[in-house]
Amino acid sequence: SSSQMSSVLLQLLFYINGIYLIFYCLATLALLLYKSQAFSYPEDLLSVDLTLFVVTAIAEVLRLCLGVRGNLTEEESLLGLSLVMTVGSTFLAVYFIVWQTYVLKTDIILNTVLLVLYGMESILKVSTIAAF
Amino acid sequence: PPETSAAVLARTRRGPAPVTDVAKLCVCDLLVAQCDVNCCCDPDCSAADFSLFTTCSVPVVTGDSHLCSQKAAIYSLDVEANPPERVFKLIDQVNPSIFCIHATNYEQALTFSSPEIPTSENFDQLLKQFGSGAFSAEPERWDMNADDQNLSDANETYRYQYGVPVQTVDAFLRLPSPVVSSWCSDGNPAGFLVNQATKCIRSVSVEKCNDIQAVSMLFYINSSILAVPKSSQMVNISVQSIVIQSLNGMRTLLNDSDVLRLPMILDGLCINVVLRVSYHITYTDAGEIIEAAAAFVLGAINKEALSIEQSFEISFTQVNTTPVPLSGNPGYVVGLPVRAGFRPQGYPFPVEIMSAALLLNTNKYSQLTILQSTASQDCLAAQGARAPVLFGYNMISGCKLRITAALKCQPLAQALLDLLKGQSFPEYVASFGNSQAQDVLDWVPITHLYISEQRIYNTFQSSCQIPVSLEIEVKWTKYGSLVNPQARIVNVTATITTTTLKQLPSGRERTILITSSVVFTDVSSPAEPGYKAWPTINAKLPFDFFFPFV
Repeated sequence: SSSQMSSVLLQLLFYINGIYLIFYCLATLALLLYKSQAFSYPEDLLSVDLTLFVVTAIAEVLRLCLGVRGNLTEEESLLGLSLVMTVGSTFLAVYFIVWQTYVLKTDIILNTVLLVLYGMESILKVSTIAAF
Repeated sequence: PPETSAAVLARTRRGPAPVTDVAKLCVCDLLVAQCDVNCCCDPDCSAADFSLFTTCSVPVVTGDSHLCSQKAAIYSLDVEANPPERVFKLIDQVNPSIFCIHATNYEQALTFSSPEIPTSENFDQLLKQFGSGAFSAEPERWDMNADDQNLSDANETYRYQYGVPVQTVDAFLRLPSPVVSSWCSDGNPAGFLVNQATKCIRSVSVEKCNDIQAVSMLFYINSSILAVPKSSQMVNISVQSIVIQSLNGMRTLLNDSDVLRLPMILDGLCINVVLRVSYHITYTDAGEIIEAAAAFVLGAINKEALSIEQSFEISFTQVNTTPVPLSGNPGYVVGLPVRAGFRPQGYPFPVEIMSAALLLNTNKYSQLTILQSTASQDCLAAQGARAPVLFGYNMISGCKLRITAALKCQPLAQALLDLLKGQSFPEYVASFGNSQAQDVLDWVPITHLYISEQRIYNTFQSSCQIPVSLEIEVKWTKYGSLVNPQARIVNVTATITTTTLKQLPSGRERTILITSSVVFTDVSSPAEPGYKAWPTINAKLPFDFFFPFV
């Protein structure tokens, strides 16, 4: 009905992001394992990368939950918080592309897809907040 | 100017800078300022040299192949052109794999790290890290393991193990031995259960008679042996016997060995100089030393003597056992005497045999013997010289017997039998080198065979037979594992060949040859490989598989 202001497209993006997140976590973890075995990866650098990966995963889950809740309950504050968290997640994705110890082609592909999703979600979030 | 020379010095100390430009890298350029054959990347080669090459030994030089894109220098020979010329191409090689490294933020990832050049500042730290026989990347962990070992050892009860140096109050029980040259070195420790005998030369002189510690008895019995390593239980070394050897070599055993005889100068000679020490250590099967005794041979040196030869010996005996000389453990060792013995007299057989121990001659070289050939070669004048039968050594010996008409047959036959067999020919031979006399089943009985040389066509003629040869055939087999087979005697057969003594007319003489021999035959059966049984497939359906129908 027309009184509904929640964005169906945003919900769709959140759904795709959720599925992609699972794939992303498994792939990045497997890739970290491969890198630690195939190349010389000193323990301190490996622990930094692993910690940031865990932080990314948790932040993503939180961000998606906030976004879904904000979109469905048509709350601007929750959606705004999710937008702010998207900025943080973008930095983390950029870290994985540029400042990681070993940047493989697979890393670039995975994180670029994530960045594309963030970009599309941010635009839709802004327009949805404006609509509320 | 001094700064540039210091800079040059610093640069040489750092080592040559690594070359990373693929266009300049050439692994086949081995000769300096000369052209290497078939090396297309060698900068010393001219176009004329290239025209003589047949192929390029190094076709491509690339960096790390893990990288996504890297420079590659490709060298090839264009054989179509006349004269053949070298083609050099510098291209960007792309790695198609999705796991290629796009970038790294870790400098040491793709290069070998150059080792630290030792300077006076970092030398101690480098020595601590790399100075031992093995080092790991984290030296801290190595120290931690040593601490753990000390802690665990403190709770364990100590005992001596084979080869561990026998500890005394100061350091170790020393057995001076020659190291590199024949001169005595006092740093050789005696190992537990390692029976050793060493001989070495020590430089002495009459003037320094009292000063040299190693020629005095006190040096060898001074410090007490620790009963168990790292404990406070001490065992004093007692003096078992003292033998005095005079200058001309005559030895006398002293009656009282309690008095400590120290070297002293007497009439221009230095007497009581230690020439030989024999240690006898008694131990328990728990690895503790309970008794130690030393037997000395003391001698004298005169003014002209510059050095003396000292000999040292140590032997270990377990408590409550008599040392049995073994000929192998368990299999016989080639060259050691074959052990043999008798059933004790007066025991009725066969039931009592199982519990009776065998009697062995205490001299291990006299247990199984054969006749020993003498220079005179006359049997009747043989004087009873016997040679021990050593395992693995086939031996033959003999003598010549002169038969005259005056010799009576029967006593001659008995005398020859005694000559061939010896005074005490044993009845049992040990099957293993370490068979104990109590285990009668471990001993192989000697089978006797009597063969007559003559053909038996006149059996009824009661002629006299005299033994002319004794052949002992020892059959042995390899026993045990394939990698360490032990020799085990399975059968001993003593064959006596007799011949008829024909009566000679008086005045005539005959010489016959009497021989005795020992032959060792290897009757080991070839090893059979043992294979594990094929695994069986045990597939059974559960009994209610066809439930509704059955």
